Amino acid sequence: MSNVEESAVTDEIVEETAPSRLEEEGDVAADYLEELLDIADIDGDIDIEVRGGRTYISILSEEEDNEPLRALIGQDGETLEALQELTRLAVLTSTGNRSRLVLDITGYRAGRAGELQRIAEDAVAQARETGEDVALEPMSAYERKLVHDAVAALGLHSESEGEGSRRHIVVSLTEA
Amino acid sequence: MLAEALDHLVRGIVDSPDDVTVELKSNRRGETLEVRVHPDDLGRVIGRQGRTAKALRTVVAALADGEPIRVDVVDTDRRR
Repeated sequence: MSNVEESAVTDEIVEETAPSRLEEEGDVAADYLEELLDIADIDGDIDIEVRGGRTYISILSEEEDNEPLRALIGQDGETLEALQELTRLAVLTSTGNRSRLVLDITGYRAGRAGELQRIAEDAVAQARETGEDVALEPMSAYERKLVHDAVAALGLHSESEGEGSRRHIVVSLTEA
Repeated sequence: MLAEALDHLVRGIVDSPDDVTVELKSNRRGETLEVRVHPDDLGRVIGRQGRTAKALRTVVAALADGEPIRVDVVDTDRRR
């Protein structure tokens, strides 16, 4: 009987600790980014959200066309990825925890998620039509995960191939 | 502004933030931001296969608004 109680208590602690750790992550990340925006004199509001075991940080702008923030997204989101990586490192340094936080700027990732869904659907349709493997353009780890999930939801198989900046997804009808 | 921004970015990712210095050097090949950190933090600032140094360069380039600027992480140990 005492065992049951103990495990119940442990579960509770685990459940309570995880979200607060993610919130701490969010605070550290927001401070890091906020000061950067301050120094660079860029207008932007920072939004923190904890959802599904991950911290999501968004830099948003009230202006319709905030050019400095667009520069922080960069070509194909390259600068956004760099800033996300540095922010994750800042969390690691400050808390000792490896972070899987996702940074977005003015909804770039959200818009890109819709695009990736369409890319996945097109690739699945093409693979079904031709019966051949379909190789996609190289993508970041996070984007590949979104595409893997979308392809799996559509009932096909996908794998990542290539190294480093050339790593990309291949969609196929069956497992290789 | 760029030196200050880079200084902030680096300070946030090292164990000894007080040992971070960023200096702007100009010569005929253009401008360079020289980053110095505590020797124990060097690996962290450079990162695996130079990944972190590359991320710092990418962000600085974005803030520089098209002006070419170099970012060098100086290995102070090696100079001594």
